[in-house]
Amino acid sequence: MSTVEKYLKPEIIRKISRLDLRAQFIVKGFLQGLHASPFHGFSVEFSEHRKYAPGDNPDDIDWLVYAKTDKYYIKKFEAETNLTGYLVMDLSASMAYSYEQELSKFEYSICLAAALCYLMIHQNDPVGLITFGEKIADSLSPKSKRQQIGNILSHLARLEPRDKTDIGRSLNQLAAMLRHSSLVMLFSDLLGDPDEVISALRRLRHGGHDIILFHVLDKAEVDFPFEGLVELEDPESRASLEVNADAYRSDYLEELGEFRTRYDRECHQIGIDYVPLDTSMPFDRALTEYLVNRRNCG
Amino acid sequence: MGFLTPVLLGGVALVALPVLLHLVMRRQPRKLAFPALQFVRRRQQANRRRMNLRNWLLLALRCLLVAGLAVALARPTLRRSGLHGKEGAPLAVALVVDNSHRMQYVHENKTRQRQAVEMAEWLVEQFPSDTEIAVVDRSRAATGFVVDKKTAEARLRHLEPEGSPRPLEDAVRGAIQLVTDRPDHRQEVFLFSDLSAVDWTKQALKSIKEVLDKSPDVRIFVVDVGVTHPRNISLGQLKLRSSILRPGQPLHMDVSVRCIGSDEAQLVELFLEGSSTEAVKRGQHHVELTASPAGSNLTTTGQATFELADLPLGIHQGYVRLAADDPLEVDNTRYFTVDVRPPVRVLLLGENRRDTLFLREALSPSMGGLHVVRFECEAKQFSEAVSLALKPYAVVCLCDPPPLDDKLWQALADYTHSGGGTGIFLGHRARMSAFNEPVAEQLLPGKLKIQSRQATHLRPRSLAHPALSSIKDYAASIPWEIYPVWKYWELGDLATDAYVVMRFANNQPAILERPLGRGRVVTLTTPVSDPLEPPGRKTWNLLPTGPEPWPFVALSNQIVGYLAQHDNASFTFSSGETVVLQLATLQPPSIYVLVPPDGEPMRRKLPPGENTIRISTTRSLGNYKLTSGGTLTQVNLGFSVNGGEDQSRLERIDPTQLASAFPANRVQLAETLEDIEIYVDVGRSGHELFSWAITLVALVWSTEHLLANRFYRSTK
Repeated sequence: MSTVEKYLKPEIIRKISRLDLRAQFIVKGFLQGLHASPFHGFSVEFSEHRKYAPGDNPDDIDWLVYAKTDKYYIKKFEAETNLTGYLVMDLSASMAYSYEQELSKFEYSICLAAALCYLMIHQNDPVGLITFGEKIADSLSPKSKRQQIGNILSHLARLEPRDKTDIGRSLNQLAAMLRHSSLVMLFSDLLGDPDEVISALRRLRHGGHDIILFHVLDKAEVDFPFEGLVELEDPESRASLEVNADAYRSDYLEELGEFRTRYDRECHQIGIDYVPLDTSMPFDRALTEYLVNRRNCG
Repeated sequence: MGFLTPVLLGGVALVALPVLLHLVMRRQPRKLAFPALQFVRRRQQANRRRMNLRNWLLLALRCLLVAGLAVALARPTLRRSGLHGKEGAPLAVALVVDNSHRMQYVHENKTRQRQAVEMAEWLVEQFPSDTEIAVVDRSRAATGFVVDKKTAEARLRHLEPEGSPRPLEDAVRGAIQLVTDRPDHRQEVFLFSDLSAVDWTKQALKSIKEVLDKSPDVRIFVVDVGVTHPRNISLGQLKLRSSILRPGQPLHMDVSVRCIGSDEAQLVELFLEGSSTEAVKRGQHHVELTASPAGSNLTTTGQATFELADLPLGIHQGYVRLAADDPLEVDNTRYFTVDVRPPVRVLLLGENRRDTLFLREALSPSMGGLHVVRFECEAKQFSEAVSLALKPYAVVCLCDPPPLDDKLWQALADYTHSGGGTGIFLGHRARMSAFNEPVAEQLLPGKLKIQSRQATHLRPRSLAHPALSSIKDYAASIPWEIYPVWKYWELGDLATDAYVVMRFANNQPAILERPLGRGRVVTLTTPVSDPLEPPGRKTWNLLPTGPEPWPFVALSNQIVGYLAQHDNASFTFSSGETVVLQLATLQPPSIYVLVPPDGEPMRRKLPPGENTIRISTTRSLGNYKLTSGGTLTQVNLGFSVNGGEDQSRLERIDPTQLASAFPANRVQLAETLEDIEIYVDVGRSGHELFSWAITLVALVWSTEHLLANRFYRSTK
């Protein structure tokens, strides 16, 4: 693991308290780690030359300029089309859950959202923020200005997960709300009725939006690391259940696997990028997904 | 089904322990927040059912483990003794040990008897202390239950080989009878045998079965201590032509060699014991063995003949032995005793020398180069006889006696009473009036009736009488017809103690015997002194004057020898037999010394006036010597004791035949100590199931462990 990549780990990011710095840290670390420029091949117009930096594609080197100046310059392009992105955050109480991890699901999602916001603004793409619980709670309209980063980050920093959730209903609301084709980046643990969620996702997709579904779960929710007799309580519904964790683990993992497989299959069918994550995973996975999606859109 | 330590069955109650742990020691659950409860809830029912099943299964296995351990430690047994109603009763056991000489067969450095005794001792150790034990062997001594186990062991240890064992079935029957006398006991007989076919005859099996049928509670364990493929070379009994020899008469003996499991030529040696203790080798023979037609393929036989000439007067003892060693040594040596005695003094009484001529020539021929002097004959006339002392003569023969003086008759009767032998050869001089007088009738076998003129000849129907024993072998080749008898004395009613030794062809008595006191009288009803053509009358028979009259010679020798009471003595006895020896001395000794084969002299007393010595301590095989000092009372006797030939017969009975001869489950056959152990365990305390039970417990334990690990393996 290179020194840069290790900064993409949640346990390192947690040590940076300011969210803007976190976002910057994540994105810069991520970009430096990439061997090729993530912006290559985008549908943009040539705007100016800039100095070659390691990591740039040598194909982009302008050899004419090199002939004249004896220095490496590469062509810089300007985006021709703008991609409107919405960061959609789940505010359900379950998102606040963390079991022996550095970041809760919500914190992890916010870090990721901030990084994406930073990245999009950097691309001059307008980014908006929508939060939901049982319904859409709050929204910031998308803008591509630099100030937007500050707005979104400060808003994100203020968010607290405490509501009950109805993802299906909220997504339906969202579908009705969005006028133009946008890139919807949904951060949720999807703990609800999957039928309703999938149905809402279909509707959203039908509206012409590209969707990246970041399914964020806690490490404990993925591994079920408990031992012995435990009484498990749902923080949203306050329902509790007494189980023998040892005997239950295989059943649980099987059930979760089925759940994730179903989302993966359904999302693949309707053209949604489904990104299963857990709070112990580095952020680059999520960012790569975004970039791939962004390239496809270009 | 029973238990050796039933108290430990109480441990089954510990089954409650896992149940209590399961119910009472239930842990409190740890409270945890967990948002993804929906995944847990979905499988709750199925998981609970499965968990319940697993828990119950594990609980059941743990309970089974505890109960199984308790049962295994209580040592379960399977009872199969078949002795209903006597479970737990004290034991009455008879240990029958075959201690015949055959059991001295050495296999793996141990005699069969030693092997049997070791097994028996081990058994005795196993018996509970209140067991009644009887040790039965094949000696004829009476047996009963011994006081305690120590005594039984001592009796077993001191069992001596028995030279003349009683039949095995007698010992077994006695043992069955002994244990049957303990009706409140469990009755068992352990028989240690080499399964020799000689002992286990059909008759023996039948006899044992009959006793078994009468004693339904008795079980017999036959412990086979024999060897499956025995190897043995044995000597048969020595066949001496005569045990009493006369000066010049050679010692002639035949001995057979029998071999099981080998057909190699065997070296047989003859040793003669001298005055010193060292025996001197006097002959040897290489005996070629040939397959015995009657025996099995493995049995071979051969024959050896020894002859020793010029033995001086006196007792001579020796032995014939096989030079090679074999596992059974007791039958490798055969002992003999012969006595070379001075010639028998015979007084021949006749009217003239002619009357005694034929008999004298027949008994001690004056011609020919014969060196054997069996009889020393002295011829006298009847007139001289009245004044003669008859005592020095062993036999007095009256050849064609005329009417005799009553004094002579009386002298003869007294002489015979005191052990002398009198031969009366009746002829033409006999007169009914004189011979039918009471004084003569003391000796004669019956009253003279008539002089029969019916021509006939001797025709012996049976030659079983000892007086005829030596002509028995060639009786068929004697042409009695060519020695006709034209005249003979027919007798009236015979005396009650007289009996016919030989008859004529017309069934009239020819030779008669009448015992008188310690002596005997033999009467021939036709003379042996008639010349071929006597003057003035016809000859009575052609017995001495026929062509080649060798039958007459043989017959006269036999009759006179029989009258002398010397030649029929035998000095060879079987082991255990009571030896009876007649003392020929005028004054029997009061004390004599018996030297048995092991060389430890024993002083014995003889009651005054007794001239017969009886010796019953003849267990050891070998040559015995009997001596006493003094000039008048000097005695120098000896005898030999040999084992029976059946003690060399190692052929075995088929064990299946043995098993099939008895009712099922009554007789068990064992070969090793382990076999006995199994039978003893199964028969007495039952078949112990500890090993099975503990294996089952181990299986349950490992299954529980395996399942528990499998159910909770994700813990690791």
